[in-house]
Order: sequence, then C-alpha cells, then structure tokens
Amino acid sequence: MRREKVPACVHPETYKYFLDRDAVIPTWQRLAARWGEPRHNTSFRTMEIAAPRFTLRSTVLGNPITVLRRRECTADDVAELHALLGYRE
Amino acid sequence: MAIDSDLAARLAMQYEPATYRRRIAGHDVIIHCHHYNARLQRTIEGARGIDGKGIIVGAAETVFADQLARALRPDDDEARRWAVAELLYRHLGFGRIDLSQVGAGIVTADSSHFVEGWLAGLGESADNVCSFTEGYVQGAVYAVTGAAVRVREVECMARGAERCRFEVDRGERPPVTPNRKEPPIPAPREPGAGWLRSPHVDEQAIIDAVVGMPMVGDDAGLIPAFSVYLANMPADFYNRICIGFVEAMRGLGRDKTAIRLLVSDAEHCGMNTFRGIMHSPEWDGLIAPMVRDRADALHAIIAISNALGWGDWHVTAHTPRSLALESRYGYEAVGYREFRGLAAAPQCAMLTGVAAGVMELVYGEGTVEERYGTFSAREERCVSCGEASCNFAVEQVE
Ligand SMILES: [Zn+2]
Ligand SMILES: [Zn+2]
Repeated sequence: MRREKVPACVHPETYKYFLDRDAVIPTWQRLAARWGEPRHNTSFRTMEIAAPRFTLRSTVLGNPITVLRRRECTADDVAELHALLGYRE
Repeated sequence: MAIDSDLAARLAMQYEPATYRRRIAGHDVIIHCHHYNARLQRTIEGARGIDGKGIIVGAAETVFADQLARALRPDDDEARRWAVAELLYRHLGFGRIDLSQVGAGIVTADSSHFVEGWLAGLGESADNVCSFTEGYVQGAVYAVTGAAVRVREVECMARGAERCRFEVDRGERPPVTPNRKEPPIPAPREPGAGWLRSPHVDEQAIIDAVVGMPMVGDDAGLIPAFSVYLANMPADFYNRICIGFVEAMRGLGRDKTAIRLLVSDAEHCGMNTFRGIMHSPEWDGLIAPMVRDRADALHAIIAISNALGWGDWHVTAHTPRSLALESRYGYEAVGYREFRGLAAAPQCAMLTGVAAGVMELVYGEGTVEERYGTFSAREERCVSCGEASCNFAVEQVE
C-alpha cells in the first residue's frame, strides 16, 4: 500500500491511504472494531468513521481512505492507525 | 449539554431553494471555510492605521447579540440562556466555548474554527487570534443579561496555549450597536435564462447533496467536510466587517487597496477551498464520476458554491481562457443595499476573487502561489448599484 499527501486541508499532514484490493474489507473491519462501525452518507456515496483524533473517510468502495487528523493527534495516535491500516513509512 | 427537541427546532436550518439561502435563528448564514475566515481576519486586522480588530469584535458582538436574541425565548431561565449561547456557537461550527464561569469573568474555549484556520494557513501567531470569539462572547453576555462588557483574550491556542482563555471586564462602556438595516431587496422571482450547463454535471444532485449534509458542529464544534473546516457565518457579519474595513480605509484614501485585498483573499480562498474539495472523498464519491473535462469541474464547483449560499450565480460564457458569471442574489450586494442603500460602484469582492481563483484552479498549473494572479476578474454590473444582477468577467492575464 501507499499514501499520497492531500493539499490544503484541515491538517497539514493529510493523506489518502491506498489499500491493496484484498485488504479493503479486513482493514475496515479492524477500524470498525477499534472505533465503531462506519456511517454512510448516501447522497455523497461516502462512508466514515469518526475517531476521537481523526476522521477516516472514503467513498463507499472503501478505498482510498482519507485520514483527516485533528490538531490534538499525536505520533502515538498515528502509529496506532498505521498499524491498523498495515502502513509502514 | 443535551440538545432537546426545543433547542434543535430553534437552531434548525431553513433552506430557500430560489436563492440558495440558508437561515438559522433568523439570520441568513453563508458557509465558508477556515482558510477564508482566517485570511479575511488577517487582512482586516493587519491593515495599518485602522482599528481592524475593533471592526471584527464589534461586528461579531452586534450580529450575535441579535441572532442569540432571536434564539432565546421569554421563559428561558438564565442557565438555559447561557446554554443556548454555548450551543449556537458550537452549532454554527465556530468551536466549543465554556460559559459556565462567565459570572466570575472567565470564559474558555478548547476548540476553535479560527485557530484551526490560522494554524493551517498562516502558521503560529505572535498574537492571540480569537477576536471573533471576543465579539461573540460580548454579544452573548448582552443577549443573556443585557450588560455591555468587554471581553479580552489572554491566552490562545494559536500561540501554543492548551485552551483559549478570555477575561470579561464589566467596566463602563457604550451600549451594543443594534443590527439595524433596511429590509432585504426582493429575491428574483423569474427563473434565470441563458445559463450554460454541462450535459454531464447534475448540478441539482450536487446542490441537493450539499444542502442535505448536516452542516452543524460536531462535539468539538467543528464541521470537517470536503477536507476543510466549514462554518455557518451570518451574512451580516461578513457584510459588516467588509463594509467597515473599506470605509475605514477610505478615511486614509486607501479604499481601492482595501477592495483589492478583499478580492485577493477570495482568490486564494477560491483556489484553496476548492482544491481541498476536489481532493475530498465527497468529491470522489458524487462528483468525480460526472466530471469528464475541466469545464465539467468548473460547473461542479459553481454548483457547490451555490449550495454554500455564496450568490445564486451561474455561468453565462466560458472558454479555457475566459469566464462570465451572473449572480442574482449575492450576499455582498444584497447586504450592501440593506446596510448602506444604493452603491456608486460594484461591491462583490468575494465573488470577484473567487471567480478568478476558480479559473486559476481549473485551468492553471503549479502551486497555488504560481497560479495566483494568472486570471483577473472584474465585476461589471452589481445589484448594489441597482442593476438586476451582478455580472463578472474573468480573463487570463497575458
Ligand atoms: Zn484563541
Ligand atoms: Zn455585485
């Protein structure tokens, strides 16, 4: 998997994480187990999990996942998320 | 505080499809992002020789004293009135304020739209940045207790503090300026004609989707949508600060510079906000499948801006090097007529700048700074001058 920086957003460190195709379902299952089931927005065809330190949002296809960090988000928070996503820097 | 159905009804948004206006507690609100709001504040407060901070604090005080008065009910006890004041701030997307110690002269905020905007776009600040919140709290104290007070921020998250902290000074000061204005000019009744549309872009689906989004603050009082922070700002606030800024600068013979600065802020906003939007999952989910070329992207962006309440504006001519737009009910022009009557010259700095910024985003290349200034826009006719619509012409700079 890889990630791409997204410009001009809520946080200077905003990325889209592109999951491998067969990792999409298990990854969202891990995220839901940690922070709750995703909410769907039918008119925009998006889904999201609102965690305390970031919002995880994607189209209904589940990939890529845009991670919008809150300002309070720490390196530990990011490390935990990366472990769940299976992302290594 | 739990939001009961009575409070929810008081703050429910009413949408007017004919003009795309959104109304909350008796005020038309316009949705802009944290980049624009912080930048506008920096421009007005950064101008030398005028009291820019006073303009922002005064406008917030006047407008929110009025909006809160409309959200309060005669049988609300004082605790409930303070609760409404906290809730309106959060609901509109400005962050989270704690008014529980206001009687002791202390107000704190642990989340702030303006601080987010400042840190995201402008970097750490040497000064406290929450002038808007100072004005809001002054307006809230007035709406709840009838007392005119001064509120001063003494610690700010934009300077690294854990929370913003405000002190309330109850010394003598003049009463709060009422939000006096003429009734709005009538909205156009006839459907518009002669507008260009893209066969691929379902503008109404975009508008319905944006209007259907719950544009209210989350637990922290923020609205993260389209990968930016949005807020519902009363149109009267924007009009008061922009008219006040231009008039104060006129006193120094610098009103043309003031308008140029306001256009420039909007030009940056047009690029930054919509660049964020075009990279967002919402865009990928609904809009990207409709977009086949750059012209489609432009039509989609205009549809989104209409849903945000910017101006009921539409494309009348378009090439990759030029754009013409007609706006029928922009908040700047309508607001100028309400506050000042007929204008001698066009007043819609925000739409003028955004018109250029959108062309720079859609057809330009490189970074925002490299694109800036590559298109120029001017407003040729304006509702504020008595015309039937505002008309904007954008051209590539040779
Ligand atoms: Zn602050
Ligand atoms: Zn105008």
